[in-house]
Amino acid sequence: MASATIKRRTEEKPVNGFLTISTISKAVAAGSTWEDKDEFLDVIYWMRQVFGLVQGLIWGLLPLKGFFGLLLFFVFNLGIIYLYYNSFQKIDDEEYGGASEILKEGLMTSFAAFLVTWIIIYSSLHTSS
Amino acid sequence: MLSDCLLIVFISICTALLGEGLTWLLVYRTEKYKKLKAEVEKQSKKLEKKKEGGESSDRSQKKKLERQEERLKNHNRDLSFVKMKSMFAIGFAFTALLSMFNSIFDGRVVAKMPFVPISLLQGISHRNLGGEDYSDCSFIFLYILCTMSIRQNVQKLLGLAPSRAASKQGGGLFATPGQLNTR
Repeated sequence: MASATIKRRTEEKPVNGFLTISTISKAVAAGSTWEDKDEFLDVIYWMRQVFGLVQGLIWGLLPLKGFFGLLLFFVFNLGIIYLYYNSFQKIDDEEYGGASEILKEGLMTSFAAFLVTWIIIYSSLHTSS
Repeated sequence: MLSDCLLIVFISICTALLGEGLTWLLVYRTEKYKKLKAEVEKQSKKLEKKKEGGESSDRSQKKKLERQEERLKNHNRDLSFVKMKSMFAIGFAFTALLSMFNSIFDGRVVAKMPFVPISLLQGISHRNLGGEDYSDCSFIFLYILCTMSIRQNVQKLLGLAPSRAASKQGGGLFATPGQLNTR
């Protein structure tokens, strides 16, 4: 009966969707166990979106410009995600099909959000209309 | 410029919500789509588990895997057909909407970019803008970037994005040969 309830709850959890409260608590706790790979990849995805926005904000405020700014985005974004899953969560990336599968999760969407934020902040603060 | 940028972000959010709303109305809520999608998700997960289990040298196992992939391919194709008609109609409507906004923002520099895009992208980023300053941003470039970031997030928030297993297995009308090969 208990296993049927657990199975039903697992099936009700959104697949490739938003984060639940329990997922967020697991995400902020070091070395959490992730039975559902999609759940962990959702955490990576949404973390990335937030990072993209924050990086765009910071890059626009400083401001950082040019190719250097673009390169730094990838360095920080990939670096932080790598540190998070490798050192903080201690995930074996082989279970997910390699490091690239985790590192590319939500990268392009995050990059687009970063560009939008960077352009808007830079344009409104550092140029005359 | 800031007001133009914020307006473009707002337009992008509205069009993403409208697009998903129309797609839900015409496609997602139909019984046929729900059934096919559930079938594709189930088969994709099964196939992924089998492939993760490692390559089997057993001939009958390989044949079984191929049959399952064929079944998945057919279901994906059926799914694409169900979506196709509605997607064309929605695409048409949005093209008209986009042309309208394009003409409103024609020749207007909506933002100054902190970088100069590569020459391949300058055709879009500097579209209908005068001068040689390629850090000037046109409506369409900012709109495309906004849509790229907003649309997928809207889909995920609304639970309308396909599962990773289904996306990985690919298939459908526009599948590349690589997606259909046995790993």
